Amino acid sequence: MNAIRREKALDIALPTALALLLLATWHVTSQVFNVPSVILPAPTDVLAAFGDTYGELLRNAWTTGGEALQAFALATVLGVAIAIVMVCCAFAMEAFYPHLVFFQIIPKVALAPLFVVWLGFESASRLSYSVFISFFPITLATMAGLVRADATVLRLARALTATRWQVLVHVQIPYALPYFFSGWKIAATMSVIGIVVGEFISSKEGLGHYILVAQSRSDTAHIFAAIIVLCLVGLIPYGIAVGCEQIMKKRWRG
Amino acid sequence: MNTSIKVQGVRKVYETDKDRIEAVSDVSFSVEGGEFISILGPSGCGKSTLLMMCAGLESITSGRIIMNGVSVTGPQANVGIMFQDSTLLPWKTVMENILFPVRIQKRPLEQHRERARELLEMVGLSGFEHKKPHQLSGGMRQRVAICRALITDPDVLLMDEPFSALDAMTRDEMNDALVDIWRRYPKTGLFVTHSIREAVYLADRVLVMTRRPATVVEDIRVPFGRDRDRSIGEKPEFNELCGHLRNLIDHREHVLRAVGKAA
Repeated sequence: MNAIRREKALDIALPTALALLLLATWHVTSQVFNVPSVILPAPTDVLAAFGDTYGELLRNAWTTGGEALQAFALATVLGVAIAIVMVCCAFAMEAFYPHLVFFQIIPKVALAPLFVVWLGFESASRLSYSVFISFFPITLATMAGLVRADATVLRLARALTATRWQVLVHVQIPYALPYFFSGWKIAATMSVIGIVVGEFISSKEGLGHYILVAQSRSDTAHIFAAIIVLCLVGLIPYGIAVGCEQIMKKRWRG
Repeated sequence: MNTSIKVQGVRKVYETDKDRIEAVSDVSFSVEGGEFISILGPSGCGKSTLLMMCAGLESITSGRIIMNGVSVTGPQANVGIMFQDSTLLPWKTVMENILFPVRIQKRPLEQHRERARELLEMVGLSGFEHKKPHQLSGGMRQRVAICRALITDPDVLLMDEPFSALDAMTRDEMNDALVDIWRRYPKTGLFVTHSIREAVYLADRVLVMTRRPATVVEDIRVPFGRDRDRSIGEKPEFNELCGHLRNLIDHREHVLRAVGKAA
């Protein structure tokens, strides 16, 4: 028992110690070698930057986080819906799947400006772009899961005169859940990336916008502060995905 | 007694690009209501295919199967089924798994819950309602599968080597359990197996199938009543019958090999 507790404590202590060590190295390097703060501001500068604009940072974080969550939700609905249609309808699969894969090969960042051209400078373009880059991992993973339902269980369901819909709801979807979650976690991080890229291209607020403004002022400390806040924002959708996965695992194993 | 299952000149042919494989050729037999039939044969003789055709899970190339007066064209709700694997849903509890057919067939859940408890008690799994399949042994899982097959009180029970994946001791136990269940719920049963002793112990009649031709070559009545237990395995009639079946299958296999060599 004690050994387990010690191991758990070590699991937390080691990464924390490493982070503190890096932080210390960063601080010492910036002080000792006199690195200009435009190149590498000291951690204390970053902290100070956070101190003077935390209100503004939080407001921007609210915008970015809100849009990322909306995009994440939309991508989830769209990704799962596409996966179900593809698996249930052979025609849809044959017609659309090659195109879907082809679209994934395009470096999607290159398409971001098009979304602004088509949908304007408001949040619609950022949301659509973010959904566009994050739904595919969900679709792919869910499809893989839906077709991996146990063959004899499917047979049993058929013998029990289950309808196509019942097979989907009672057998295929539960079997697909673990696969879905692996795709969902990727989508959680993609949704934040999508919004920030959108903000880089067109926006009047949001952390992406804040970073651009700070950059134009050569205010690297504020860029760092915004990046740290952005990391925390990114943890929200990811945390939701991981939390749901844990709940599912608990119910599954019982 | 009424005839429950009638199999008339049933054939199953699989066509591939190069080949035509006759999996079942011209099988005919009939089963009275409440009768328990073992279908015995070596692997690859088409006995499972025959059972799947009865279940409406495989198409019939020619001939027909009539079950409870209705020609089989697809799965029927009044048929229970068991496979070699227990096919329990891993995320559902024992109780939810047993109620799965009830849910699918939209029957009233509450009154079946009571029946599920009775069935669990009968197979010796009272108190396991809330366990998940991974917490059960292989034999327990198959017991749950029996309960699930019986929950909707089907007229016919189709079993495809349900105990063949279990170890010998558990298998004996399951056979005893099945004999016991049959005494209480006499249903029409088709039981596919490649174990001679299991076939004789469980059934009123044993149908022997062979490979090439994949058909029923003998239909033997087992000379024991329903009220039986494992001790019949020591009776001379039991062992004579098993010996006879052994010879029948060995001889056929021997001829097959000889023909194969000559060809």
